[in-house]
Amino acid sequence: MAAIVRLSSVCHRGLKPLFYRSTLLARPLVAPHKDQERPYLLTARIHASQALHAGSGSKAASLHWTGERVLSILLLAMGPVAYFYPSPVMDYSLAAALTLHGHWGIGQVLTDYVHGDTKIKIANASLFVLSTVTFAGLCYFNYNDVGICKAIALLWSK
Amino acid sequence: MALLLRTLARQGVCLSRPQYSVLYRHAAPMGTTAKEEMNKFWAKNTRLNRPMSPHITIYKWSVPMMMSITHRGTGVALSGAISAFAVAALVLPGSYSHYLDLIHSLSVGPYLIGLAKFGIAFPVSYHTYNGIRHLWWDIGKGFKIPEVYRTGYTVIILSIITSIAVAFL
Repeated sequence: MAAIVRLSSVCHRGLKPLFYRSTLLARPLVAPHKDQERPYLLTARIHASQALHAGSGSKAASLHWTGERVLSILLLAMGPVAYFYPSPVMDYSLAAALTLHGHWGIGQVLTDYVHGDTKIKIANASLFVLSTVTFAGLCYFNYNDVGICKAIALLWSK
Repeated sequence: MALLLRTLARQGVCLSRPQYSVLYRHAAPMGTTAKEEMNKFWAKNTRLNRPMSPHITIYKWSVPMMMSITHRGTGVALSGAISAFAVAALVLPGSYSHYLDLIHSLSVGPYLIGLAKFGIAFPVSYHTYNGIRHLWWDIGKGFKIPEVYRTGYTVIILSIITSIAVAFL
């Protein structure tokens, strides 16, 4: 779940309230230096390991979140397009989009309910295998059989 | 790093003063990460064999709660169905039309076929409409409680109507 930081909490009220919100403490903003010449009151200067350099966290989770939403919108658009213009291109696009959307969705379910380092690893590995097999099976069906669009049309005609 | 900052905040040190801005640029890892803390929590509970507090058995159910878990349920079910279809395509010897004819030859009544079509159409429409509602939330709109209920009922009604309409196609 993404933590949405509303812009109004950053503007208007200055930086002070920010430092008392634990969600932001991991990524602090740099306060402006007004008196550069004043000697530092604290003498202890601890040096960080590179990995903990303030402000330079990984954007992987945020990008993943955005990717999930973009894919959802893409999949939404594919529905009517596949209905009005069925084709092998739509078959394979649908196969890819459906598999990835499902993979990321089940991934979130596993993250919510599976706890413990090894269990998480096993669950995610199994999901990866399942998604790979699913995509392979759908592509096989598209290539050797009628394809997804035609299959749905045929199913509904009975 | 967060622990360091919180300790200072507790002692009344205001970090927005200029001379302290250097602190969080050079901070040593003094505590555990959130992930480590989470895992410790779960490990301790399993180790001590603690029973889980009643939650879904005692908390009053609400429409938003039910819609949320239905969204998850339909998602998992649809994903499972697609995976099952894909595995069947790889494993079963006959062609798709062959198996369709097999189902045809069972001569199931029109009502059961309509019911089956509704059974397929409903999870797809509900998950799609509620998905749009989720995207609406993602752009920050519709969080007021009356709005949550309004959009929720709209999704339910639209899903039923769409599924019935599609089942008649």
